[in-house]
Amino acid sequence: MSRAIAPLSMIARWWTKARPRLRLAVGTVLVGIVGLMGLTPNVFFGTTVSWPYMALIAAIGWGRAGLGFSPMLVLILFGFAQDVTASAPLGSFALVNLATYGLKAGLYQAFDAERSPGVSYGLPILILFMGIIIVWLLASLSSNHVVRFMPLFASFLATMFVQMIVAPVFDLGVRAAAGREAML
Amino acid sequence: MPRFAGKGYKKRPLRRYGFFIAVAGLIALLLLQTSPRLSQQIEPVRTAASDQLFHMSKPSLIDQITGASAKDQRIIELEARVRELAQYEALALSMAERLEVYEDILNMQGEPSSAEVTARIMAEADGPFAEALLANAGSVNGVEVGYFAENDRGLVGRVVQVGLRSSRILKITDFNSRVPVMGESSGLRAIMFGGRDGDGRLTDQPEAGAFIRGERILTSGEGGLFPRGVVVGTVQGQGNDLKVDLAMSKGQLGYVRLKKSPLIPAPEALDSLGETVEPNEAELTSTASSGGQP
Repeated sequence: MSRAIAPLSMIARWWTKARPRLRLAVGTVLVGIVGLMGLTPNVFFGTTVSWPYMALIAAIGWGRAGLGFSPMLVLILFGFAQDVTASAPLGSFALVNLATYGLKAGLYQAFDAERSPGVSYGLPILILFMGIIIVWLLASLSSNHVVRFMPLFASFLATMFVQMIVAPVFDLGVRAAAGREAML
Repeated sequence: MPRFAGKGYKKRPLRRYGFFIAVAGLIALLLLQTSPRLSQQIEPVRTAASDQLFHMSKPSLIDQITGASAKDQRIIELEARVRELAQYEALALSMAERLEVYEDILNMQGEPSSAEVTARIMAEADGPFAEALLANAGSVNGVEVGYFAENDRGLVGRVVQVGLRSSRILKITDFNSRVPVMGESSGLRAIMFGGRDGDGRLTDQPEAGAFIRGERILTSGEGGLFPRGVVVGTVQGQGNDLKVDLAMSKGQLGYVRLKKSPLIPAPEALDSLGETVEPNEAELTSTASSGGQP
């Protein structure tokens, strides 16, 4: 049993020591892989599976560390790729990703100084939902009719589920400025 | 865990400005696209990007892991089907020959034969913005904007964007798609658009007469975007709230056939001497594409 856990604990130790730039690169690769897989038809045993918005998960995870140029650039590039794949007006998903990222950074800076569980677990879900609402608004505005919300809600649930599992991968290992100030 | 020291803290206002500038830039980009002319200028960038993105994509890992044995089984089934259908091929050929003779006798203008490309669907975009498919055949394969796509069961959509090696197909389930259709039995005409639940909705129905529940819906060929007689689905519902149960959703969407829509020649203009003037290629194309979009 301990033999099986040993590689995992080794990865955990390596991840703890990993620098923010390396963590950002790992997160970027994960978003890219899951995003590319999502482009293929996602039908399993006759049922279409809602695919998570990985870039939103990345925006929420990276936003916890406060604003940074590298995550912003990566999120904008992912946004443009999403626009191309989703036939959305160019800049839509980049705006959604960036808005989610900024929202998370701002709200964490304001409320997460004490790292209360309510903020740590509740805020990502709330911000994720707001991100989905922005997608819905932009889609409705660009297509001149109210688009269906249920498929987006299904994607929100899938994103939330995946976010709970992969959140540590998008932790850059640093905290927002207010938190840092409190520690320093 | 590694922590930022003073370096990151000093950069914070600059990052904040950068963030707001990026957000403002993206909003400006979105607003610029509300202008059709500017939006058209962005289209080549989008086409090139999708071309590059989807040319690189390969069958998914999950597809390879879970679908291999099922595909082998499917190939065996299809081979048996091909053997079964081969006997009908000769019959169909002789019937087509006879039909051609009859059409000649009656001086009837049948549907012109069209170019055809079979393409693999590389990506689906059933998101909130548009319901579209990306196929791995582009202009190098002879695909052009306006080609229509069908799977083994019926009409899938229409090519709205063509790259070098990829093309984007707007599905008939998209809210903005419009397909001129007719009832096979009733002969009534209507326009079908994409419904909210992955079905089709009928609009512009005739005041007199009603579609028969369960009758097949075919393309009417009006407008020249689609040929006449392509299967779309069957009528469901009652009264004015008619839905079309789309035939394509019962088939597979892994591969589609991209076919050229028939060109309807513009009426010849008569010059002053009473001689007919042949329409040029541009006129032919504009006639075929002026009927709206699917």
